[in-house]
Amino acid sequence: MKYDNEQQTQESSRGSVSWFRRFMAVVHYEMLWNIRKKKFIGVIAFAFLISSIGLVLPFILGDVIPQNAHFAITYGADSLSLFLFALVIAMNSMSSEFESGTIVPLLTKPVSRTTVFLGKLFAAFIVLLISFTVLFTYTTVGSIFVFGAQSDLGLLPVVLFGNIISAFIWVSMLLAMGTITKNTILTVIIAAGLFISLFMALPIVSVLSGPSTALNYFPGTGATGTLITADNSEFSVNAGTDSLGVNMVYALLYPGQNVNFFKTDIWSIQIGDQTLPAMELLYTESIGFIALRGLVIALAYIVVFLLIGWLAFKKTQINE
Amino acid sequence: MDYAIETDSLTKNYGGLIAVNNLNLKVQKNSIHGFLGPNGAGKTTTLKMLMGLLKPSKGSAKVLGREVHVDDANSRLKIGYMPELPKFPKHLKCIELLDIYGKMYNMTKQQRAEQIPKLINLVGLKGREKDYIGKYSKGMQQRIGIAQALLNNPELVILDEPSIGLDPVGMVEVRELIKEIAKDGRTVFLSSHLLFEVEQICDHVTIINKGSVLASDTVQTVSSMFIGPALIHLEIANLTNDVIFAVEKLPFVKKIYHEGIKLTVQVTSHDADVKVKVSKEITNAGGVIVGMSQKTSTLEDVFIQLIGGARTQ
Repeated sequence: MKYDNEQQTQESSRGSVSWFRRFMAVVHYEMLWNIRKKKFIGVIAFAFLISSIGLVLPFILGDVIPQNAHFAITYGADSLSLFLFALVIAMNSMSSEFESGTIVPLLTKPVSRTTVFLGKLFAAFIVLLISFTVLFTYTTVGSIFVFGAQSDLGLLPVVLFGNIISAFIWVSMLLAMGTITKNTILTVIIAAGLFISLFMALPIVSVLSGPSTALNYFPGTGATGTLITADNSEFSVNAGTDSLGVNMVYALLYPGQNVNFFKTDIWSIQIGDQTLPAMELLYTESIGFIALRGLVIALAYIVVFLLIGWLAFKKTQINE
Repeated sequence: MDYAIETDSLTKNYGGLIAVNNLNLKVQKNSIHGFLGPNGAGKTTTLKMLMGLLKPSKGSAKVLGREVHVDDANSRLKIGYMPELPKFPKHLKCIELLDIYGKMYNMTKQQRAEQIPKLINLVGLKGREKDYIGKYSKGMQQRIGIAQALLNNPELVILDEPSIGLDPVGMVEVRELIKEIAKDGRTVFLSSHLLFEVEQICDHVTIINKGSVLASDTVQTVSSMFIGPALIHLEIANLTNDVIFAVEKLPFVKKIYHEGIKLTVQVTSHDADVKVKVSKEITNAGGVIVGMSQKTSTLEDVFIQLIGGARTQ
């Protein structure tokens, strides 16, 4: 065996170029893993199914289909979809490397742990971006057929960006958990437990004590309010991180408009034999502020989780 | 002397368990150095510390003249490492994996295109390189392990139990391959619990048990370290008293035994020329040698003595 060593040594000495090549090698490694996961393919298929149902449901139910020029940009991904996408992309990105022992050959290559971590993160971002782009394109084309010509399609990238940020809270959380636990099942249990708890607890808290602003500081739907536009149209708005994409679109479409948050007192009003809920205005926030706050909270979660994951990965001892 | 690997009091504790204990290891450049020890002796832990996968509790290590630190990526550019029973991502094809690893070593597209088919051929995976690794047997994964350890044309190749999990034919092939690798002037450091493997392949050996070095030198020196007097067995056509007397006079002869035409000479020296001196003396005394053999100690003898001694302490 004779190898040409000289050229390789010269290449190795070019720091920044070589770092980028190594980084892209990790991205390639991770992306091939992501797109070949059966779970990922399953979730993509499921997401297409849900989107299709959303589009064809009015036909199935025999409803009169109203003109909706903003369907494409306001038909955002729901909390469950965001979580599921994040879950299938990131749940075993770190943990299964430890579980299967593939971490050993990987970390004995000339790639730093930071490069590996960043590579995996970037690959998750790319896969999420491609998945959401394909889905958004499908939904947009479908909505043109169902609801007629769509307005403000230029805002689609904003929704896309918002949804990726929303999903990335869970991606970064899963990466951190996977690195700390080194166990996929445990990672999924913790993440799903947290998601389900927040998914169920926050609406209950919201009903019982009103849509407090505190709800917006947890990942999820947050407080629910009503956006009233200049032409007196009303939209239900969730102020949490999950609705970041749609809220940014509302902020751009209806700048300066307020969202009213009401507390529903379900025991208070008695009409005849019936008790009707009473609505009490708790507070008002501008849609721009809600979108900005959601973005800041989401980014804060992402940064904190990623820092935890990165530090854990840097410190971990490879006993596998 | 220039060492490929040099450790200074390298120690690794797991709570109260000492996996590696004040290990002072020196591996000469351009040698095939065996790292021999029973299971659980601390071989893999040592190799992982050398590769920066584990942080030593105490002490330090230098590999190719560079201090080892956890997560020092550039220090691994000239090292090829094959873990014990290596595992690779099942969703990748062998050729994809080697290509990605090649990029991590900063190899150009042309270098990868030349090197990867060569290595696939070398480790006997030609025809299966486009299969997913998930379909590979343990032995085939072992072969990828060797291929990926040679990908970067390393100065130092570290192999952790390279033939474990292989069938007998595979084991022989791997040993031949290791000898081949070393011919290009590389240093090969391989851990093994198989005595005959180290004896066949290596020129240097370090014996380790319970995390401590028991012996370290050339295989020949270590083999002759702890044995008693060597025995030379002869068959002499005309075994006369003159012949016996002539042999007895030799300064390194401790004792002789004879029966019929058979003569056994117990010698205190292990020098290679002992046999020559004995046969010369017999011929001069009028004896005709029809058969001659010498029982020399093997690495196994030493290993059993060392490990046995360590266990009784």
